[in-house]
Amino acid sequence: MKRSLGSGDGRGEEDRKMKKVKEVENEDVEGLARFDDNLLFEVLKHVDARTLAMAGCVNKQWHKTAQDERLWELICTKQWANTGCGEQQLRSVVLALGGFRRLHALYLFPLSNPQTSSPWGPTMPRVMPSKPLRLGKDEVHLSLSLLSIRYYEKMNFNNRTTR
Amino acid sequence: MKRDNRESSGGGGECSSMQNGKAKMWEEEQQQQQGGMDELLAALGYKVRASDMADVAQKLEQLEMVMGSAQEEGISHLASDTVHYDPTDLYSWVQSMLTELNPEPNNSMDPSYLLMDNVGGVQASSNILNINPSRVFNDDSEYDLRAIPGIAAYPQAQAQAQDKVEEEMESGNKRLKASPIESGESTRPVVLVDSQETGVRLVHALMACAEAVQQENLKLADALVKHVGILAASQAGAMRKVAYYFAQALARRIYGIYPEETLDSSFSELLHMHFYESCPYLKFAHFTANQAILEAFATAARVHVIDFGLKQGMQWPALMQALALRPGGPPTFRLTGIGPPQSDNTDSLQQVGWKLAQLAQDIGVQFEFRGFVCTSLADLDPTMLEIRPGEAVAVNSVFELHRMLSRPGSIDKVLHTVKKINPKIVTMVEQEANHNGPLFLDRFTEALHYYSSLFDSLEGSSSSTSLGSPSPTQDLLMSELYLGRQICNVVAYENENRVERHETLAQWRGRMASSGFDPVHLGSNAFKQASMLLALFAGGDGYRVEENNGCLMLGWHTRPLIATSAWKLPSPDS
Repeated sequence: MKRSLGSGDGRGEEDRKMKKVKEVENEDVEGLARFDDNLLFEVLKHVDARTLAMAGCVNKQWHKTAQDERLWELICTKQWANTGCGEQQLRSVVLALGGFRRLHALYLFPLSNPQTSSPWGPTMPRVMPSKPLRLGKDEVHLSLSLLSIRYYEKMNFNNRTTR
Repeated sequence: MKRDNRESSGGGGECSSMQNGKAKMWEEEQQQQQGGMDELLAALGYKVRASDMADVAQKLEQLEMVMGSAQEEGISHLASDTVHYDPTDLYSWVQSMLTELNPEPNNSMDPSYLLMDNVGGVQASSNILNINPSRVFNDDSEYDLRAIPGIAAYPQAQAQAQDKVEEEMESGNKRLKASPIESGESTRPVVLVDSQETGVRLVHALMACAEAVQQENLKLADALVKHVGILAASQAGAMRKVAYYFAQALARRIYGIYPEETLDSSFSELLHMHFYESCPYLKFAHFTANQAILEAFATAARVHVIDFGLKQGMQWPALMQALALRPGGPPTFRLTGIGPPQSDNTDSLQQVGWKLAQLAQDIGVQFEFRGFVCTSLADLDPTMLEIRPGEAVAVNSVFELHRMLSRPGSIDKVLHTVKKINPKIVTMVEQEANHNGPLFLDRFTEALHYYSSLFDSLEGSSSSTSLGSPSPTQDLLMSELYLGRQICNVVAYENENRVERHETLAQWRGRMASSGFDPVHLGSNAFKQASMLLALFAGGDGYRVEENNGCLMLGWHTRPLIATSAWKLPSPDS
């Protein structure tokens, strides 16, 4: 990506120039930053979990978009076999218990990649999984149960009355 | 050429190629070969004749037993009256040790002794010498006697040796001796104590103490308990902690110190929570029981769960979530939680109920809660529970039913109550051990093995950390304390106060069957979920899920530790 760096004669000047450079970049035809949120969302609908997680580290806009529960819902349901319950039903329960992103990060991911770090296991050196295991009904149910327990435990600190 | 030499001496060692070409080593090897020494052990510094190997092994076993029995007799002379022998000559070392500890050397050993190859003459005589440490200088007579074939002469010499040995023992002073083997051999006095050995002695001491308690020999028990404390200090990890808890419990029993049962219930619940976090036993219990309940509730529109021990209600979020996601929508969920009276005036049952109600509201399940406080489940009356017609009932008991065995008739009353409730399913999780035998020593032994495995498993998973929880060591310590209280109850208490009356799955099966319950097989879903749960718990590779005739057991390595089973009443029309 070509950048035109202005030669600043002072700090303030430089800042203004950097801002200007950014604006220039936005208008740059090649810049990915040109995507607005909706377009970014559409693109991210098609990536896998790993890519989505990494995308959230790019910049603020991408971070905000990558956090969207709908994207993670897609990721989760893509991996699952038919869970038997309705989409809306699942959505309302999971969102209430902490959301799809958490569900994936905390439970679905460790379950489908058993050799990488897990919530309870010691952090092991990262081994690239050859192929993530397809998650069956039992993995899904286990993950949901663990999510609900976690939610319940977190409730402890909010609602506990002092003795 | 080397091979020829070896064959002539009749030794059994392998040809170690590393000795090739070294003249010095060659000489040594020749010497050893002539002595018939095992080469592999020689490389380690031990001189044992290949022909003596079986003998030495047998004697080492004997030695271990004898050392153990010496402890039981209350003669801890190993601590005060130590003689250090050079163990390089294993055969003679073992002999010395045996005669030291056991004034009657096993005469059955002697015939084999006489049959020994008389290849290295010098070696042979010194071997005999070392049976009788005090008679070091009297080699002539021993040697002569030995030369006479036949057993007759030999026992006599042994008898003489016996007297001498006994004299030596009575002197009871600390002696440092080097056994006189080869001349010019540097004798290294070696201290015998190593931690594996003390581990064995620790177990023996604990057992001896328990036996003394059973025989009401309290003075001996007291001495042994103190000895256990000393030995336990030399151990590390799980063994030390287990020994400490058992010793403490024994001390309580011996001195008759029973702290008041005003165990702060909030503290108990705290310990319980830490135990929940630090190891998978409770989670396993909850998951497997929930699976059975779910399957029983498959199509019911109104469900009612009666929990015999609500505690913090950790079992129910997962069930409610599963009900919420049931195809066709969730049923109305009613929970009756039973708990002990609280020492402070807080109503912890209601608080748990509120939390669960909040969760239910968040996930869209209609929820109703009722809490019952009672000191014993036998006080429950089915009418109190207000079972409504048309609702499917499940009775759930996690580590609660065994308490009913402390009073005669309680368990029958409870099971009778359960039958009156007419549940669709009864789920039961209990410890897989028999800590309720009639003899104290048996209970003690069982408990020692059981809690050793349990503590081992805690140790195994202590390296794992869980997200968002306090430091793992705190969880571990609290869990150990939680188990320690159980140990104390099993060992120190009696009659109604001994509530930790664990029984095995087989025993519970018998009891449930004779009360009229039919077993329900836990499905493969439960097994799979349990296995996956353990896989997530990567900190403990030793956990094993086993299926046992429709029941599921979770254990550590080969030892099953808890068992989940499900029961129903036979349908009236069958």
